[in-house]
Amino acid sequence: MTALVRSELQKLFTTRLWWVMLLVMLLFTGITLAVTIGFAGVQAQGGPALPGRGTLEFQQAAWTAGAGSSIFVMILGIVMMTGEYRYQTITTTFLSTPRRGRVVTAKLVAGLLVGVLFGVAALLLTAAAVIPTVLIAGGEVALLDGGVPRIMLGVVATSALYALFGIGLGALVRNQIAAVVGAIVWVFVVESLLTAIPALQDVGKFTPSGAAQSLIAVEVDSGFGAPDLLPAWAGASVLVAYALVFALVASLTTVRRDIT
Amino acid sequence: MRVMTAIEIRNLSKAFGPVKAVDDVSFSVEAGTITGYLGPNGAGKTTTLRCLLGLVSADGGTALVDGRPYTALEHPLAEVGAVLEATSFHPGRTARDHLRVICTAAGLPASRADEALEQVGLADAARKRVGGFSLGMRQRLALGTATLGHPRVLILDEPANGLDPAGIEWLRGFLRHLAHDRGVAVLVSSHVLAEVQQTVDNVVIIARGRLVHQGSLDELTGNGERPVRVHSAEADRLVPALEAEGARVERPGDGVLRVYGVDAETVGRAVLDERVLVTELVRERSDLQAIFMELTREA
Repeated sequence: MTALVRSELQKLFTTRLWWVMLLVMLLFTGITLAVTIGFAGVQAQGGPALPGRGTLEFQQAAWTAGAGSSIFVMILGIVMMTGEYRYQTITTTFLSTPRRGRVVTAKLVAGLLVGVLFGVAALLLTAAAVIPTVLIAGGEVALLDGGVPRIMLGVVATSALYALFGIGLGALVRNQIAAVVGAIVWVFVVESLLTAIPALQDVGKFTPSGAAQSLIAVEVDSGFGAPDLLPAWAGASVLVAYALVFALVASLTTVRRDIT
Repeated sequence: MRVMTAIEIRNLSKAFGPVKAVDDVSFSVEAGTITGYLGPNGAGKTTTLRCLLGLVSADGGTALVDGRPYTALEHPLAEVGAVLEATSFHPGRTARDHLRVICTAAGLPASRADEALEQVGLADAARKRVGGFSLGMRQRLALGTATLGHPRVLILDEPANGLDPAGIEWLRGFLRHLAHDRGVAVLVSSHVLAEVQQTVDNVVIIARGRLVHQGSLDELTGNGERPVRVHSAEADRLVPALEAEGARVERPGDGVLRVYGVDAETVGRAVLDERVLVTELVRERSDLQAIFMELTREA
């Protein structure tokens, strides 16, 4: 099994998409960080002032920056699966490993590892931006307290699980363009509406991103009111449940299908 | 000790919806021989091979490699090599990386990748992305992929597609070397008989999903009688004399006769006796392609 996971990672790292996605993810995270830092301490019109750069609340908000970039890990997961069908390399893959369940498991494990890698990369970028900002503002850097470890863990876990979502979706849909477009519409339109509009949050908190937000929830009043979220433990359970469902979907759709 | 049949297909059937792609097909391939698996496009060749390789699940029958289903092989690449279609590469990956990924999954040393590239004449292109490869180079890379694990059984689906004449000549030599020197069992499919007739020892012919012939190449050519063809403006006058000699005469028209059952000398004597002017008198060559067409036309 270790050999199969290594082979899957080799597949990913011998093509160019992974670092393109890594750069895009870091760019996206960087923009989020720039906005968070830029607006820290600014008085919103008619609302309360956002926490200043020296405060713990600012640090909590900034550390969540990487969570919004999970879509890019998901796209990478989609491509790990659909790319095999698109270029018909799935034939060679199943010829060297005819027990397809093992191929799917190896892909899921490789996806988790890549997701963790992306999550950690986002955290490193965040650290590089947040720590100097806090120090310059004269604040006290919080790394192991003030809920920051939970947020960090949440960012990495979200990233890892979204890779699994991508692999599952890719196994189900197989058409690369359809799967990627579907994922983008889901994350940026459907989930955004469900989690942002208060009347829909009863549903929204059970979506993957709603559940992910509960892992990284911070008490910052941005003037829109606190979102309705699940407790962190429940959010984690919902995410893991999604991951299991997607893994199951990936296995069942892949094991039986004729490769013509 | 009985030598294990390398490939054994028994009563294999597979339907896609209402279409019977493979219908009760049985044949076997022995070690050290090259078997041509022939049939027109859409005859069911690819489906048979994919069933054999565990990529498509058969509706009925069995397809065994060394006595076991492919999916039960512990180290499949060390037992079976397969070339299915030349397009199954990621265009952004280099030839060497493509092979190394497979080496890793199959537990083969990474050095095999370079050896295989050397063997198929792609050593110079090892670090180039496959996207820039010609069809012929892709076929070579596919062959390199198939031989990574030094398999004792080699299965190739239309391997000559996209190869130039020199490439086809190289492929013939490569397959003959593997089969006759190394004892590999080779099963190679093609829709062009002429492509494989110089290479194969045995032929299996399939049409519309059904087996229509299995045997040696010699048996196949023996099946067709070689008529004597006569061209004459006065062909009509020849027929009674020929029939008197016990010949069976076919008249495709235009002054052409096809004479079966007698040799060219008998026909010539009839021409002399009847004092008929002929412009052509020749024993037709055994036309494999015609036999092939005849066999696959009405299945």
